[in-house]
Amino acid sequence: MKSFENIDVKSVREAVSLLQKFHQQKKSAAVVGGGSEYLQLMKDHVVEPDYLINLKSIPGLDYIKEERGGFRIGALAKLVEIEEHPAVREKLLILSSAAGEAASPQIRNAGTIAGNLCQRPFCWYFRSSNFTCLRKGGQVCYTVTGDGRFHAILGAGPSYIVHPSDTAPALVALGAQIKIAGPTGEKMIPLEKFFVLPSVDYKRENILNPAEIVTEIFVPTPKAGSKGFYHKVRERLAWDHAIVAVATIVESSGSVVRAARVVMGGVAPIPWRAAKAEEFLRGKRIDEATAKQAGEIALEGAKPLKDNVYKVKMAQDLIQRGLLASA
Amino acid sequence: MAQAPKEYSIVGKQTPRIDAYERVTGQAQYTGDLQLPGMLYARVLRSNVPHAKIISIDTSKAEKLPGVKAVIHHENAKVPWSSGGHTHRRYIFNNPVRYVGDPVAAVAATDRHIAEDALKLIDVKYEKIPHVLDANEALKPDAPKIAPNGNLSVGKGAFSAPIEESWGDIEQGFKDADRVFEDTYITKHVNNAQLERRVSIAKWDAGKLTVYASTQGVSNARTDIAKDFALPLSKVRVVCKYMGGGFGNKNQAQDYDYMAAMLAKVAAQPVKLEFTREDDYIGMHGRWASEQHYKVGVKNDGTITAVSLDAVTNMGAYRKQSGNLSGTDFYNIPNFKKVIKPVHTNTVVAANYRAPAYPQSVFGFASFLDQVAFELGVNPLDMFMRNRAQKSKGKLPFTSNYLEQCILEGSKRIGFSEKWHKPGATAGPVKHGIGMALGGYPFRPGLGAATIRVNPDGTAHVLVGVTDIGTGAKSTMAIIASEALGIPLNQIQLTNGDTDVTPYSVGESGSRTTAFTGPAVVAAAEDVRKQIFALASAPMKSKPEELDLRDGQVFRKADSAQRIALGQIVKDSGDLIGRATTNPNFPKEMDGKCFSAHFAEVEVDTWTGHVRITRYVAAHDSGAILNRLTAESQIKGGVVQGIGMAFSEELLIDKVTAIPINPNYRDAKVPTHLETPEVEVIFVEHYDPYGVFGGKVVGEPPITAAVATIANAIFNATGKRFKELPITPDKIVRAVQV
Amino acid sequence: MEDEKKGTRLSRRSFLKGIGGGAIGTAVISTGLVKSDSAEGYSPETSGAGGNRATITLKVNGKAYRVEVEHRSTLAEVLRDELGLTGTKIGCDRGECGACTVIINGHNMYACSQLAVWMQGKDILTVEGLAKGDKLDPLQEAFIEHDGPQCGFCTSGQIMSGKALLMKNPKPDEAQARRGLSGNLCRCGNYNREVAAVLAAAAKSS
Repeated sequence: MKSFENIDVKSVREAVSLLQKFHQQKKSAAVVGGGSEYLQLMKDHVVEPDYLINLKSIPGLDYIKEERGGFRIGALAKLVEIEEHPAVREKLLILSSAAGEAASPQIRNAGTIAGNLCQRPFCWYFRSSNFTCLRKGGQVCYTVTGDGRFHAILGAGPSYIVHPSDTAPALVALGAQIKIAGPTGEKMIPLEKFFVLPSVDYKRENILNPAEIVTEIFVPTPKAGSKGFYHKVRERLAWDHAIVAVATIVESSGSVVRAARVVMGGVAPIPWRAAKAEEFLRGKRIDEATAKQAGEIALEGAKPLKDNVYKVKMAQDLIQRGLLASA
Repeated sequence: MAQAPKEYSIVGKQTPRIDAYERVTGQAQYTGDLQLPGMLYARVLRSNVPHAKIISIDTSKAEKLPGVKAVIHHENAKVPWSSGGHTHRRYIFNNPVRYVGDPVAAVAATDRHIAEDALKLIDVKYEKIPHVLDANEALKPDAPKIAPNGNLSVGKGAFSAPIEESWGDIEQGFKDADRVFEDTYITKHVNNAQLERRVSIAKWDAGKLTVYASTQGVSNARTDIAKDFALPLSKVRVVCKYMGGGFGNKNQAQDYDYMAAMLAKVAAQPVKLEFTREDDYIGMHGRWASEQHYKVGVKNDGTITAVSLDAVTNMGAYRKQSGNLSGTDFYNIPNFKKVIKPVHTNTVVAANYRAPAYPQSVFGFASFLDQVAFELGVNPLDMFMRNRAQKSKGKLPFTSNYLEQCILEGSKRIGFSEKWHKPGATAGPVKHGIGMALGGYPFRPGLGAATIRVNPDGTAHVLVGVTDIGTGAKSTMAIIASEALGIPLNQIQLTNGDTDVTPYSVGESGSRTTAFTGPAVVAAAEDVRKQIFALASAPMKSKPEELDLRDGQVFRKADSAQRIALGQIVKDSGDLIGRATTNPNFPKEMDGKCFSAHFAEVEVDTWTGHVRITRYVAAHDSGAILNRLTAESQIKGGVVQGIGMAFSEELLIDKVTAIPINPNYRDAKVPTHLETPEVEVIFVEHYDPYGVFGGKVVGEPPITAAVATIANAIFNATGKRFKELPITPDKIVRAVQV
Repeated sequence: MEDEKKGTRLSRRSFLKGIGGGAIGTAVISTGLVKSDSAEGYSPETSGAGGNRATITLKVNGKAYRVEVEHRSTLAEVLRDELGLTGTKIGCDRGECGACTVIINGHNMYACSQLAVWMQGKDILTVEGLAKGDKLDPLQEAFIEHDGPQCGFCTSGQIMSGKALLMKNPKPDEAQARRGLSGNLCRCGNYNREVAAVLAAAAKSS
């Protein structure tokens, strides 16, 4: 790990102004929440900031508050707190499940919700100090000629990473919003708009500018009659990222779907919302056939690499299973 | 069943490890925990190209970094590493470099962060040489030559290449068959992945080199170091008190021991060289990958008439160990022939990992037999029972063989006959299946040494050269000593792993510690008991041969009420020393082996490709069990390593750049608590006449059958035969889609 | 310069030895970070001369330790190298194996993935802090009885995760015990034993 200066900040404003200052001085700086993920990148020389701005020293940014219409979750709320929060468990079960599926107990005890949403890809080429890949300023995405068995089948190119977050698909399915603080103040945007496709910018995974940080997530409580499902397929049951993850929320009246959200993790560089499948489901009864069809529609346009064709069927099956479970 | 000659006091019981307290309190000092005054920290720079000549290496910037004390590389540290290569001379730094990971330089500095910073300041210029990664490609005539004599690895001594073995008449065997089947099975490079990263601390005192190593064998490490540094054995001391696992790849001395020693010499300060986890994955060896082509002749009832095996094993850039495949050992094969070609490629080195030649070829052969049984319409239980080994190599009797009982007891415990169904027959996306396979490992006794000191209070010191890599070897030696001496375990102090203090031991590999060093402990105990009985003769008014010693009491065999505490007998005698160097063997016309039959039930989710092992039974013939507690742990652990090899583990190498892409626990996917079922262990116990207290071998066998057992259960569940490891979700989903 | 540095390291150790063996329960003084050098103009060439350092107070196993560290030093490194608490092992240094698991403010975490400078004011519990004098923690006793350690290198971490679980859930069932320990690899594969030990300790404490 390259030497750096750690700075414990006491407020969001202090963090933002430091980021702005270092940016203006053309110095590299990064913010950390739990730190588990970012320190590994630093140890592997993937990132080498001169300044590390520690947000954990900001008091009171780890709240989980239930309010009329939804939950406000502070950026520093730990994954374990989200997983175990009784009201979250009761009303946002898929978020609780997704948080509980992340990495390992030790990481869920340290890792924050904002950190989970802002983590960098776990692509093995990106994480290796031996490859200067496209995302790290190099010329090629090594996945194209190399081993892309865990990589993207949707929305990819020129970079083929998948977004590694467990909570992101669940939060997008729940219609969450994200609050961002920057030099000009705060803004709240739909979480869905937070993530960036490589075709827009292959060096970043989200829209955060150099002097911006995430401060809060707002999650609306699903309407009565909604049922959710979160399932993550992986090789190992602990400390592994999704090969395919599916988060669904189905709001029904009687047995007819009023609205559905279908979001996939592990298949695209962003949490991938299957809008056409959602549209297809509206007004239908979910049975084996419609669930299967929705899965097929969701994967229309998939462009797998040579090594990850299997993900298409796996995702289709999982959506089918998810919808049947949420019906 | 052969019976033990007498009732034991402690052998065969459940005995907690003698050093368990130290291990659960954090007091156990592993090599990396030691700090010496003035100690420097060292890191290794490795090649990032697969095959290249080093044109120049500029270390000047690194040397100028404050805190850096020594930089060594192929120009200034041309140290041969004898145990690192069997086919051509290997140095600790080689030019040309032959794989991504070949060490290029090492730096010692005042702390590890500075040493790491310094690596980035070393400028190496390479001239690339064409490379080859695939073992079959490497055998082609125009392939880049990695070793001076080409890529078919030509060995020395025991390692002749290709490895050929045959008996009977293979052609006649196939003629006698009703059916002949052929198929190919593929296994991958799997790293040993022990939790303790490699570390070595070296220091020089007036020409004497002390290495605190993380080694499976202090004696053989000392021999290697003395040879390669041209020092007399008396000037080399190797110490290893606690060892954080190795599973075969920490035996002997390793290049990092040598680098630490060289850096310490240059810097004139002690040096601790630590590997990173990535270093451990790519800089040290894992299990050799293999491509196994089998041809099997059978009668219609499943009886094997002939087996031939043609295989290549990928040994990586240097040949360190055999590259053999021996999974056919557990079957009666009247006519047999194998030709195995160990091959050099520009990849990470392969060598010993727990039961080196077995799990990959048991996977191949037991999967294939299961397939042949399916084709013949024979139940796998009948197939394995019918063809189980009854003689070694078609002719030699075993010292003991309870494989049949293993099959019977294990299959009964799991209910194999009731649960087995036509492969793939269960309905729905989640399929259930059951499978089995046979395994084991060779057993033979050999050279060992031990010293026992009986103190004037009747307590005893046992000195043995063993390291304890987690098998419980220290505890086993203490138990043997306690039983053989007649002194309670809690009055025995065991000192191990220090070549200045403890006598020779073989090195904890090949499951040999009990069989090699155990007899020496028994003999040393007998030696000191003679001295005790001679002393006791007068006060007990008996002839020495009329006396016995148990529970620390000397007594008359004829009347055990006549007894004197050992401490009384020896209180004025100074230290009594018993010692022995032993080298037992069994007759040439016999062979030794332990056996196992494993059984698993699985649940395969064909939508997600996820396999859950719902039940696992491991039945073992290891002779008599000296410590049931630690022996059971060994069996359980071997199965878990097999689970990793079956489901997820494989060192992946990028085909374009030749760089390993998953050299870490996250991406190599070592199994966790959540993949692990309760492993039910059955010991079919009996007394082997050539084992210490009737014991044979425990450590290596349990991994051998595990992979094939799981693969066969997946076949039973899905009806799909997986012929290439690891059996990952993507492969399962792809197979069931067809 | 380099000799000076060696000097400070040695004296720091002897200082620590002093407080380690002395009065227990030194009040924890929360100090701000002492910034030594500015990071401006940083390059690897200068980092060896000191880099970014800070003097911090760590509260470990109820004792306060004042120690000078680099900003880039992890808690695991400082526990082992500076405080001599080598029961905490480093298996991967990437938060993937769990050998370095310690309990921070009641939660098990990877000590390799926390900077020491983040740890001021936290209660850190390591394997060395479990026993009360000569009396082992029931979980340690259960690890001995159930053969929890094979090579023993992961054992401290398994115990600390087990302890954190039992602090939160004194009566876990088997599935909960496995999940609680799931961030701790054991390459010896002794998972059955480690889970059995946690369950036995839970049963014992009833």
